[in-house]
Amino acid sequence: MATSLMCKTLGAACLGLSMACASPIAFALEDVIDKPARPTELAPESLLNDVVRAGDRIVAVGERGHIIYSDDEGQSWTQAQVPVSVTLTGIDFSSDAKGWAVGHSGVVLHSEDAGANWEIQLTGIRAAELAIASQEDAIADMEARVEAAPEDEKGDLEWALDDLYFSLENMQADLDIGPVNPFLDVWFGDNDNGFVVGAYGMLFHTKDGGETWQDWAPKLENPQKFHLNSVTRVAGGAMVIVGEAGQIHVSVDGGDTWERRESPYPGSLFGVIGTGRVNEILAFGLRGTLMFSSDLGKSWSMVNTGSTATLNDGMAEDDRVVLVGNGGTVLTSGNGGDTFRDYVRADRQGLMSVVPADGTDLLMVGESGVTITDAQGKNLQ
Amino acid sequence: MSNPKHDKGEHYLTTPKAEPFLERLIFNNRAAILIGFLVLTLFLGYNAVKIQPDASFERMIPLEHPYIINMLDHRNDLQNLGNFVRIAVEVKEGDIFTPEYMETLKQITDEVFYLSGVDRSGLKSLWTSNVRWVEVTEQGFQGGTVIPDEYDGSATSLEQLRQNALRSNEVGRLIADNFKSTIVYAPLYEKNPETGQPLDYGAFSRQLEEKIRQKYGATNDNIEIHIVGFAKKVGDLIEGIGSIAWFAGITILLTTLLLFWYSRSITGTLVPVFTSIIAVFWQLGALRLLGYGLDPYSVLVPFLVFAIGISHGVQIVNAMAVEAAKGFDAVTAARLAFRALYIPGMLALISDAFGFLTLFFIEIDVIRDLAVAAGIGVAFVIVTNLVLHVLIMSYLGISKGGIRHVQNHGEKQDRKWRVLSYFSHPGVAPISLLIAVIGLGLGVYYKQNLKVGDLDRGAPELRADSRYNKDNAFIIDNYSTSADVLVVMVKTPEEQCTQYSVLRAMDALQWELQNTPGVQSSASLSDVSKIVTKALNEGNWKWFEISRNQTIINASIRSAPSGLINTNCSLTPVLVFLEDHKAETLQTVVAEVEAFAEENSNEEHTFLLAAGNAGVEAATNEVISKAKDMMLIFVYGVVSLLCFLTFRSLRAVLCIVIPLGLTSVLCEAIMAVSGIGIKVATLPVIALGVGIGVDYGIYIYSKLEKYLLEGKTLQEAYFQTLRSTGKAVVFTGVTLGLGVVTWIFSPIKFQADMGFLLFFMFLWNMVGAIWLLPALARFLLRPDRMLAKARGAGK
Repeated sequence: MATSLMCKTLGAACLGLSMACASPIAFALEDVIDKPARPTELAPESLLNDVVRAGDRIVAVGERGHIIYSDDEGQSWTQAQVPVSVTLTGIDFSSDAKGWAVGHSGVVLHSEDAGANWEIQLTGIRAAELAIASQEDAIADMEARVEAAPEDEKGDLEWALDDLYFSLENMQADLDIGPVNPFLDVWFGDNDNGFVVGAYGMLFHTKDGGETWQDWAPKLENPQKFHLNSVTRVAGGAMVIVGEAGQIHVSVDGGDTWERRESPYPGSLFGVIGTGRVNEILAFGLRGTLMFSSDLGKSWSMVNTGSTATLNDGMAEDDRVVLVGNGGTVLTSGNGGDTFRDYVRADRQGLMSVVPADGTDLLMVGESGVTITDAQGKNLQ
Repeated sequence: MSNPKHDKGEHYLTTPKAEPFLERLIFNNRAAILIGFLVLTLFLGYNAVKIQPDASFERMIPLEHPYIINMLDHRNDLQNLGNFVRIAVEVKEGDIFTPEYMETLKQITDEVFYLSGVDRSGLKSLWTSNVRWVEVTEQGFQGGTVIPDEYDGSATSLEQLRQNALRSNEVGRLIADNFKSTIVYAPLYEKNPETGQPLDYGAFSRQLEEKIRQKYGATNDNIEIHIVGFAKKVGDLIEGIGSIAWFAGITILLTTLLLFWYSRSITGTLVPVFTSIIAVFWQLGALRLLGYGLDPYSVLVPFLVFAIGISHGVQIVNAMAVEAAKGFDAVTAARLAFRALYIPGMLALISDAFGFLTLFFIEIDVIRDLAVAAGIGVAFVIVTNLVLHVLIMSYLGISKGGIRHVQNHGEKQDRKWRVLSYFSHPGVAPISLLIAVIGLGLGVYYKQNLKVGDLDRGAPELRADSRYNKDNAFIIDNYSTSADVLVVMVKTPEEQCTQYSVLRAMDALQWELQNTPGVQSSASLSDVSKIVTKALNEGNWKWFEISRNQTIINASIRSAPSGLINTNCSLTPVLVFLEDHKAETLQTVVAEVEAFAEENSNEEHTFLLAAGNAGVEAATNEVISKAKDMMLIFVYGVVSLLCFLTFRSLRAVLCIVIPLGLTSVLCEAIMAVSGIGIKVATLPVIALGVGIGVDYGIYIYSKLEKYLLEGKTLQEAYFQTLRSTGKAVVFTGVTLGLGVVTWIFSPIKFQADMGFLLFFMFLWNMVGAIWLLPALARFLLRPDRMLAKARGAGK
């Protein structure tokens, strides 16, 4: 019901746009990183990977460079002007007006007008160049260390140096192909300070609202370059990054230094959120895994979710916690995450993210676009 | 070509005494000719009986259209993409998760496995090992067959089965959305790999009926079977051809009764029927000798040939009865009838034949076959009707009853003809013309909505309420699939079909198309790559993208369905699923693809239209749109020219052709209103309708001219025309109508459409000739000048 209503309104809004763009322009096929997202009525029904609130506005990102926003709690949507048509994976706003979105081909997009218009701040090419530069620095350091080291330690250091060389070659080979690797999440603490995380351990940091970026990956203890899937800040000010193979990294100084935490679960973690209470973290991922920490990840307890589906993202407000996952999984808690109720939506479509909508309703995005549900994740009557 | 002025300077009507050479030749060698005909009949009849049904897919498509050329060029690369059957096994009460259902499904799966023609390695059902569920775990993928290995029909194993089904990704494909049916999917071999024999669609379809539908559906109240697929459709078409025999019987019976009512003469009834059947035998025999079979189109031609034979035979019977009533013996009556009718008869039949030959403008083999078959048939009718018929009658004569019928009938009937003759009255004619103009206006108005192509959902060849289309609707409603598929072929250099740039280009095309009205969804290697890339990244939707890294692409398509990559990786298809196959839908989508292909084809990837049933239909529609105007111009051109050569008067041509034009316009309007599109089946109707419809005008006009040249006033001349030939013309219209009207009950939709439209055209052309022709004559003809001219020529 809600979906069809929504599509109709959006359809009307987009019709003008698509008509204007219908005239054929004789270009060779552009690279997706240069090709603006095609105006389409289908965006709210297509894959959407992340959704956030920016004040009263709801903004979502998804495949083919789709960014859509709604000012009426998800009833109708407008498609933003986006300069790329890569799959977008994450979005965050530092204020009602300033937002950042990330995605494949290593793109970071920025909007100054609450998500209506976007421009490129970073691409995978630049990101790879930055990473290669810091890799070369690391190699120079290592060479110096090898030089200075006593004979009996040299062997190990040379091994490490070889690893660095090998990894540099890989990075250069990737760069030869193009901007191959995707960013997977973005988080901005204020209008200046932000982090983006991505595949193969990518982590970049800006201190000037995305004007310039720094390769921050060396600050993390991630020698195998596992994917980093999610980044956030929890109540109390600590920052958390989770990723592939049970990666958990915590920073208590605004992201300048990071500490690796032991995970009780060896599988991948796809999301991390705070509960709203100081230093409490919920991390989740493959096979319905959900773990809770009240001491910034020093110790964890496993929470039984009753689900075996991958959990992708979640939200917490007051005592309410909602997690969504693959196969239409919705987990809801009314006691701050102590216990959860498992609900599987009939359409079994994968769910990627969730925000609170009108009243106690939920607005979810995922495999088949936007869905508005009641507080339990059930279809609205 | 017939030359109406067989003797120099003499008008054929003003010199009735002359004995044309042909007449002498025929009547002086009556016995010899009859024996010759007997031998010919035995020879051709033998062949006619042995003619085989034949529903070849290739003959029904426009082979010269670039889309079809592309399709056939790459048919080996696209093998098995389209030729499969899907058997939906539906449970009426409850759902599929019961031991009984699973047992039945297992038996059906086994049964299908052993059907000859099925590509067993590709067979899919819940019971085949290639239908699996997959799940991502910490260690990687985990999976198994949907039906658990330890399945024993217990509640636990059924619950396990239900869970496997849900995570198998087959809901909407092999498992219905409502869990009340599942599909057995069977790809077919075009050619049996063991015997090399092409698949016998008729036999395969019968096997499906007997071994699946009868055995499991009919015997179990709780199970219903639905079968769709090209092979089943063709099978049903071949089945449909069989029912034609019934129509033939009914047509012959009806015609015989009508003929007797008309002539009241045994000989006058049986001889035309007999000679017309002979013509049909000759035609069928000749077709077989020329290497043709009977397809669903050409199977209709014998009806036409029969009806044409009868309707012209009636003219002979009529003329002979009139002459015999004057006291002439059988031979003389036959001679006089021949002499009076061989010119208009031959002209009418030749224009029929030319009408058929215009069908050659349509570059589709079945239609050309139809033209050949009908052309041959009409040529034979000229011989059987004007020679065989007349000769037999010259021996048998019109029976007494028939002669009396003509004599008695005179006075009483005259009043009716007198009333009808007012159509040529100066007071009535303008009203008639006004009505005609209004009719024309209405026709032109309504025919604006005339569409090209097939308009109904499902298989357009069969009726909307046929079992096939019901089965098709069932599958469309319960599964996420469309029956209308357009295939765009993407050609690349060898071993390059999986390159990033190719996948990107296909993806771009697909997204353009998905944003095009009428497109439901699309599928290609790029989707496979995205889905598997996502799966390889632990099922995370954030990885749902084509990787730029060729190594990842190669890994992602390693287990792609074989139909998506040809053997040397130089061709990969984009499948576009459409909401329907209406002409606008096809046109929009095809135009979109062509524009995209124009902009984006290069050395790396060329986009070629088109395969799939929607591709074939798009090509067919294009051919038909183009052929339509050419054909109309040509058929009217030929008919007008023949009339002009015969009557040597433009005014005569107008009198005869204008009523035909009105009928053609009205026919198109009726098509538009009743939702019949211009398609392979209905386009020939226009040519047939005009070609045959002109006969009425020719018979009427030739008589009218004769009486006018005798110095009668227009109305009197028209009265005499009606009196002598009007009845025969009405009868002709009715017999022709009867000849085709039984098709309306054909299980094959396009035969029904053809029957309905031809019935209208045959009847309405007759009405046009009797009602509108005299009104036009009132305005166009100048009897005094005609008379003066004829006399001048006669002197």
